[in-house]
Amino acid sequence: MKIGRQIIRPTLVLTAITVASVFLLSHVERLAGPIIIKRARQKQEAALSLVLPGYIVLSSRTIAVDGVEFTYWEAEKKVENRTVRAYAFLTKGTGYGGDMVMMAGVDEKGEVLGLSIISQSETPGLGDRCLEVADRETLWDHLKGGIPERDFSDATRIPWFQNQFKGLDANEKIQIVKRGDWEPGMRDGLLEINAISAITGATITSAGVVRGLESGLDRLRRAREAAAAEQTGGIR
Amino acid sequence: MNYWKEFAKGLWEKNPQLVLGLAFCPTLAVSVSVSNALWMTLAATFVLVSSNLLVSAIRVIVPAHLRIPIFITIIAGFVTVVDLLLEAYQPEVYRSLGIFIPLIVVNCIILGRAEEFAQKNGVFLSVLDGLGMGIGFGLTLVVLSAVREILGANKLFGYTLIPGMEPALAMALAPGAFFTLALMLWAMNAVNSRKKGR
Repeated sequence: MKIGRQIIRPTLVLTAITVASVFLLSHVERLAGPIIIKRARQKQEAALSLVLPGYIVLSSRTIAVDGVEFTYWEAEKKVENRTVRAYAFLTKGTGYGGDMVMMAGVDEKGEVLGLSIISQSETPGLGDRCLEVADRETLWDHLKGGIPERDFSDATRIPWFQNQFKGLDANEKIQIVKRGDWEPGMRDGLLEINAISAITGATITSAGVVRGLESGLDRLRRAREAAAAEQTGGIR
Repeated sequence: MNYWKEFAKGLWEKNPQLVLGLAFCPTLAVSVSVSNALWMTLAATFVLVSSNLLVSAIRVIVPAHLRIPIFITIIAGFVTVVDLLLEAYQPEVYRSLGIFIPLIVVNCIILGRAEEFAQKNGVFLSVLDGLGMGIGFGLTLVVLSAVREILGANKLFGYTLIPGMEPALAMALAPGAFFTLALMLWAMNAVNSRKKGR
């Protein structure tokens, strides 16, 4: 009797509850799982089309560089009867709040085509402004309903900080200007000295992104060398 | 009315954060913006109501010495449901709430209400209790996050309030959360002790 009450019954109750939980969760998972996978793929495709604008992605490769997995994509587009190649890759930079994962694209000459920060956990209001998009309306505009027709599509709402990387020369060192500010008029001046304007006066997040980009470029070079060596070795 | 009392006590008289002193961790962490606060409230209230309902429904068959693992299993199940649904249907919200969604499992309001109320009361009362506590949790969270978002980011619901004004950044960071919560606790205590004095 005692065994029944102290061991068997609690075991049965606990088992029943666990089974019921698993049953519920498996159904929710069946509903949500495919959507989650689809979203992750869409996000990656959106990032790829942002960092490789106008290019057609041909292939992706994941190889180990320095014992770290490195994923890069090869793409090309036709410009006046000539095929131009470009590469995109995933890389990590260390910010104030841990690792920031980003994707960047460069063409064969080493011009940065774009950079997209995929995940970050920087300080709200400071480092996380690396994802800030210029405001187009205030609350009063919104309440009045008097918002003029504007373009709200994601394609045009690229965070200003990320957008500065477009057009930089990846073969040269990327400088950081401590202004904590950016406006469209600064663009040409910054490109001339191969620089970006930092998010704030303190440059931990900005430097983290730049360093992540540089280490990614370095890994891309070595990964391509390794891939090329493999290919010629295969032919012989 | 007894039913109304069980529902309403969570709003003021036994407000989870300001009177019971529970769940400060998510309160401080997710009160950076009002929309975060509202989603957190929705997620926590759903888990609270569902777990209260289930705990009170099975309370007669739960062996007393096994109640904590059983409650945690139930709560963790509902939290995983919320986690999966948010990730699938509200990825932006999921990204900004981050770790605090899975951490609802250890939100002491939920285990506290299961232990304190649901295992001693009927299903209907327990649901009302969960609903009241969830809304009370949300009220504190929304007031706190409104103050922090207005002062710390010069925004409300993500819309800029005064164009061109530099916000007080400290309010968006941890100190702002502590200051504001302390002021709210002080106000609550002041009002309640004045009531008692009469």
